[in-house]
Parts: sequence; structure tokens; C-alpha cells
Amino acid sequence: MSNEIILEARDLVKEFPALRAVDEVSLPVHRGEAVFIVGPSGSGKSTFLRCLNMLETPTGGEVLFHGKAIAGSSASINHYRCKVGMVFQHFNLFPHLTILQNITLAPVKTGLLPEKKAVAEAIELLERIGLADKAKAYPMQLSGGQKQRVAIVRACAMHPEVLLFDEPTSALDPEMVGEVQNLMKELAAEGMTMVVVTHEIGFAAEVADWMVFMDRGKILETGKPAVLMNSVNPRIRDFFSKVI
Amino acid sequence: MKRYILTILFLLTLLLPAYGAGNKPVLRMVTSANFPPYEFHDNNTIVGIDVDIVREIAKRNNFDLLIEDMKFDSIIAAVQTGKGDIAASAITVTEDRKKMVDFSIPYVTSRQVIIVPGDSLIDSGKVLKGKRIGVQHGTTGDNYVTENIGEPQRYDDASMAITALLKGKLDAVVLDYEPSQVHAAKNPALKILEEPLFFEEYAFAVAKGRGQLLAVINQTLSQLKKDGVLTEIRKKYEKHTEEVVKNVTEEKYTGIAGDFYTNFVKDNRWQYLVDGFYVTIAVAVSSVLFGVLIGFVVAVIRSTADQTGKLKIANFFCRLYLAVIRGTPVVLQLLIIYFVVFGSVDVDKVLVAIIAFGINSGAYVAEIIRSGIMSVDRGQMEAGRSLGFSYLQTMNLIILPQAFKNVLPALGNEFIVLLKETSVCGFIALQDLTKGGDIIRSQTYNAFMPLIAVALIYLLLVVIFSKLLEILEKRLKRNE
Repeated sequence: MSNEIILEARDLVKEFPALRAVDEVSLPVHRGEAVFIVGPSGSGKSTFLRCLNMLETPTGGEVLFHGKAIAGSSASINHYRCKVGMVFQHFNLFPHLTILQNITLAPVKTGLLPEKKAVAEAIELLERIGLADKAKAYPMQLSGGQKQRVAIVRACAMHPEVLLFDEPTSALDPEMVGEVQNLMKELAAEGMTMVVVTHEIGFAAEVADWMVFMDRGKILETGKPAVLMNSVNPRIRDFFSKVI
Repeated sequence: MKRYILTILFLLTLLLPAYGAGNKPVLRMVTSANFPPYEFHDNNTIVGIDVDIVREIAKRNNFDLLIEDMKFDSIIAAVQTGKGDIAASAITVTEDRKKMVDFSIPYVTSRQVIIVPGDSLIDSGKVLKGKRIGVQHGTTGDNYVTENIGEPQRYDDASMAITALLKGKLDAVVLDYEPSQVHAAKNPALKILEEPLFFEEYAFAVAKGRGQLLAVINQTLSQLKKDGVLTEIRKKYEKHTEEVVKNVTEEKYTGIAGDFYTNFVKDNRWQYLVDGFYVTIAVAVSSVLFGVLIGFVVAVIRSTADQTGKLKIANFFCRLYLAVIRGTPVVLQLLIIYFVVFGSVDVDKVLVAIIAFGINSGAYVAEIIRSGIMSVDRGQMEAGRSLGFSYLQTMNLIILPQAFKNVLPALGNEFIVLLKETSVCGFIALQDLTKGGDIIRSQTYNAFMPLIAVALIYLLLVVIFSKLLEILEKRLKRNE
């Protein structure tokens, strides 16, 4: 862990016609940190995460990457997204492509890697998650846990500096949650900078460097898991008493 | 603005290569070649009294002759818009027509007669009121019956009216005298009433303002009358009529085999179907490819506008295009493109058909593909964008391949519809499969065989295509 701030939200606001989903949220993320965002449903966690990747266009405030604000031009956003990967709740693998093609498509087509190199790296990644034999298979033929692990290595194939996870295990059958969490733990241990939105408090407590509690579009408190989970704030106490 | 467009069109016509291959100027004759003995198809060429006279005019004035076959009701429009120089199609001089075109001196006096079944009780024009009368659409017989007797049944060509009469769908047919003789000769069950309905004069028509051409035609016609060539030509076709009668009565085979022989084998008539088949395939396949191209572009613009709020102006034009094309019949679009858009330009009719049907099909394909794009999960676009792809890259690499697979059955359906819609090509005198069948029918006066044959060929095409589509769908499904 270093003191370098790699990604930072400053007074970020996302307003929908009838709702202020994200309300002036500021959050610095240092290199190598695993930041876990928790909180009740509808608290704006996912919207905030999606704003970090510009999948939702913020209506106020800014996102800084290496201290520079992400400009509005689509080219600079595309370039930024190459460096900041995203893992979705519903995996969003490309069903018309093989597992190998799912992983190599982005690095090849964005010009990050030549095809040969991309394939070699993809096979290495698949071997690492024990799915090398599925390289030629299609997403339909994989279990939920396998799909999510492929989605994670698909994001990794772009050599990202930050990975964003949007409730990565909530669409999985319980017996498959473990395999995905183990992969995320490994990545965290290797020093990948991660921002994770999750409902799995136990997992968050185990892996998080920082835990962020969001409610009604605002960050109520940020702290080490052990500290946050023993917060004096009644809302936070109430939440943890219900989920643990 | 209008003058500007006209100037551009004028310059375009200058850029076009001179019409015709030879050095001689070309005389373009438009006719409706289903009117024996004035104009009809014989051994895959168009012959007849009008053709011979115009050929003589061309020869004596050092023109190359080019004959174009189209529907009778398009002929006047064709010379007006410059698609042809001279309309020669047994056209009767009427006051209404004089307002639209200039007529030559008459070259023949004819009469409209009444054809009835041999056992009919109708014996003169006076008892026609209230009867079912067939006419050829847009002819003077049509006008006369409409004004003096009552609404007639209007057919595209005389032989269709005759066929309807033979099948008992009509009580009488009003037709020019000479073709009536051929029809009566071919069909002993019919007779021509001796007393004509009325007399009339035939003349050639040219566009207004072409006085020079008209003078040349009139001068030559006078010569032809004087030196007896006109009479010779008419005699020649009287002989032809007699031969037709002889052929009909001395047919080699009888029954279904005989019908088959007359409709397809004799005079190589099958060639009309083969030629028409190629035109139909060429038009259908090319225009579906053109349509898919347009459809993809329009669908992407529409979806992009819907999802991102960009491309507002392009989206407006796409919506306008969809509204206009889907809101008007394809046959009108075809006619407008031929007579208005390419009105003063000489352009291959297959190309005109491909453009018209391509633009038409594009509108339907666009909405099919757009529905395919919308059927792809939103998460696919987000996943693509999150990996650093631009909107268009994500569209091309991720959304469109999935959308295409989803809408393949609908696209196949659109092709099948298009294939059959091309059967209206005959309206611009393009000889497609349906028109090929029409020509055979106009020669043999047999509705059953050519219609069934054409229908079977369409059916076969659709069955084969459906099978190919099924195989393609299965191959694409393997991915899942």
C-alpha cells in the first residue's frame, strides 16, 4: 500500500428526475487498496460505483484518475475505461463468443496487445482459474461461478489499474459464492486496487482495507472494518445487527 | 431551388453516354406488345403492324430503332417524360389524349367491336347495358363503355379479358377489330358481332414540343400511304392472322399435354420464364442486400438516438424515411422512381427495380434490426463500454452480431415477402418472372398453365430459400 491516490471521487452527485441517488460523495482510493462499499439497498452504492466508471454520467462533482479529472470527451472516457475494469452482478459475458474470445476481444480490438500475445495471456489467466479446458466453450455452457470468474479475468486482461465490482456474488447460487470470493481475495492479496459493492459483510470484513458505509446517497462513515462495524452511529449499528 | 435541380439534371444527361451503340440517332418506340396483330411477342421478338410501320419510318430517316414494351396505360406517360420518342400501340386519337401528347396523322381507321360467346343472346351494342363487359384498361373501348354504357371490368391486357370471357366471368368484351379477329380465330367458342360499337382512328403519339420529329413521322406516313407500303404491311399481318388460325386448328397435341406444349414448348416460350426467373432473382437478391445495408445504418442511427440522445437530425430523417416508405405501396414507389426520379435519365430498369425495392425493403429491415438491437440485454452494451470500446465498436463487435442472430427468421421472412413483391416489376416493363408468364398468357390465351407454372416457380424458390435459412440458423445456434 502506498499513499498515492489513484482514483478519487470529489463531491460526486448523480441526480435522477425524482431522486438524488448519489449526494456529494467524496472518496479517495489509494493504490493497492481494497475498498468495500456496504449499506442498505437503495443507498446509492451501485450508482456511485457506476459513476466511477462513467456508465452513469455524474450530474455534479468529478472523478479524478491519477489526479486528473475525467474529461467529457468520449475518447478520453474510453481510454480511462481501459484502465479501470468493471465486473457486473450479471457477469455480462458475450454469449456469441467463446470464453477465449470473450477475454481476448478487448485487448486485441483496443490495440492493447497483438492477438498472439492476448491469446497467450488469456490462456494463462484461464489456467490460473482452472478453466483452461473451457477456452473453446461458450458462456451458456458454464456455471454461474465459472462465468463470474471468466468475467473477472476478462477485466484483468486489459491490465487495469483499478477493478470495480458491482455486487459480484449476489446473482450466484450459494455454493458458487466461495470460488468467486477466493479469486477476489487472491487479486487483493496481489495488490490489485479494488472498489467493491457488496452485501457479503463477512467477506468484506475479511478482505477490505477500508469499509465505506453509504446510506441515502451519502457516505455516513469510512473506516477499518473492525472500527466501522462497531460504529456508534445508530443507523450503522442497526444495519450490521440485521445483516450479521 | 427548382431551377438549380433542373440544371443539375440537365448536366447529368449531358454526362451520360449517347444513347445507343451506333453512330445513328436512336428512335425509341414504346408499345404494349399484347395486341396482335398491331404489336405482339413472336419468338422472343416484338412484331406487328405498328412495329413494321415505325421500323419503316426509322429506316427511311436513318434512325436506329429501339423497342420498349410496357403496360398500355404507361405509354402516354412514357413519351411525356421522355422515356420514349414515339408511342406506337394502336392508340386511338381522343380529345383527352390530345391534351397530353401530339398525334401524327392517322394511319388506320379501325373500329371497336363486341366479342361474345357463340351462344350469347347479345346481338348488338344496344343491349349491353347492365351486362358484365370486359375492356383493356385505358383504351378507347374502356372510355366509350364507361361513358355510354356503364362501369366495365378493366383488364391489364386484352387476352386476360378474353380469358375471363371464356371462363364465363364476363358477358362481352369490347376490343379493337383486328386483335378481335385473332382472338376469335384462336377461340372458336367466341364470335364477333358484325355491327361495330364505334369507329376510330389510330395514330402515333410524341411528346408535346417535338414538332420536328412529328413532321418527319407525318411526312413518312404520307409516303408510305402513297407507295402502298401501308397496305402491304396490313396484308402481311392478315396472312399472319390466317396462319395463327391454321396453327390453332392443327395443334399437334390435345388436352393437358397440348396445353403444356403450346404454353411452354412451342416457339420456345419457356424462354420467357427462364429470362424472367433470372431477372426476379437478380432484383430480389440485390435489393435485399441493398436493403440490409440501409437497414443496418438506419437501425443503428435510430437505436443510438434512442439510447444516447445524440444524432437527433439524422434520426429525424430516418423516421421520415420509415414513415414515407412504409406508408406507401411499393408499386407506387417503383413507378415514382422510374418515371419521376429517373424520369429524364436513361437508366437500366433492373437497376431501377433494385433501387426501388432496396429502398423499400430497407425500411422494414431497419425496424427488424432495431428490434433485434433492443432485444439484446442492456448489460452487453455496458460490458462492452466498460472494457474501453466506443459506442460504435460495441455495436459492431457485440450488439449487432447478437441482434442479427435474433432477427434472422424475421429477415428471412422479409426476403420472402420481397421476392414475391418484385412481381410488380411489369409496371415499368421489366420482364420478370410474373411478366414472363403474362406474355405467354397473352400469346396462348390460356390462363391456367402460365399462372400455375409461375406460381410453382415462386413456391419452389421460397421452399429452397427457407431450407437454406434453416441450415444457417442451426449453424448459428451451435454457439449456444
